[in-house]
Amino acid sequence: MNDPQSDPQLDSLFAQARARRANTSAIEYGFETRVMARLRAEKQPGSIWAMVSWRMMPFFAACVLGLVVWRADVFAEVDDAAQTASTDNPAALDSWGDTQL
Amino acid sequence: MASAENTLPDERLVADTLSGDDDAFAELTRRHKSRVFGVAARFARDASEIDDICQDVFVQAYFKLRQFRGDSPFEHWLLRITTFKCYDYLRKRQRSGPAISTDALLESGFEPAAPPPDEPHPALERLHSALVQLSPKERLVITLLELEDKTLQEISELTGWSVNNVKVRAFRARAALRKLMENPK
Repeated sequence: MNDPQSDPQLDSLFAQARARRANTSAIEYGFETRVMARLRAEKQPGSIWAMVSWRMMPFFAACVLGLVVWRADVFAEVDDAAQTASTDNPAALDSWGDTQL
Repeated sequence: MASAENTLPDERLVADTLSGDDDAFAELTRRHKSRVFGVAARFARDASEIDDICQDVFVQAYFKLRQFRGDSPFEHWLLRITTFKCYDYLRKRQRSGPAISTDALLESGFEPAAPPPDEPHPALERLHSALVQLSPKERLVITLLELEDKTLQEISELTGWSVNNVKVRAFRARAALRKLMENPK
């Protein structure tokens, strides 16, 4: 019969531990002030913006990546156009450059 | 202002806080901090850890105050948040690695900077060392049941577990604790 629910020694230890409440009065001193200061800090709009910006970081990263890919396509088209112009009509390259840039 | 708030019931202070009066919340904090500190001190021993848990409790209470429906006393609602925060603390502590037992620490030559004000009883220290080795769920249930003297029903309300679940967990936690006390690691 090994019933963990009946153990006088353990019960006595629990009773002693129950009776000994930790004295937290020193830590409690000024606690309201600390809590209110933390609440003020967490309620500041700056901290909300920082949090929102941080959460939007993947979206911003995706935008930058998209922009880089799009720009690479545009430059590739420009290069193709320039190459075509130079082979078809070498004299036109200067005038193409003037009109585009 | 503060003296007038001393006499107001909790529900009124909650309503005042919701309408933007932060002094009312400061009064709620002053009124209930000892109870919250008492529970947190059952789970953490370090003063800064106890303070962190208690601050988290009141900060969450402030931001979730609209969820307090007033169908049970404010203190019950606050103790539910305290229970969750203490459980979070135990889980974080478990993730950060196994706790070093007091005995192992003393054997390794460690000497505390200053003895604690209430010199603990050696048997109680052994109990604490065993409690620290329990899983977070076991420690939570045994602490609430045996040290905070809560009933199974009260623990069920605080944790959100069914009464049967609490009963089974308490049974297992006691068995594990007894084993640890008999064969300390």
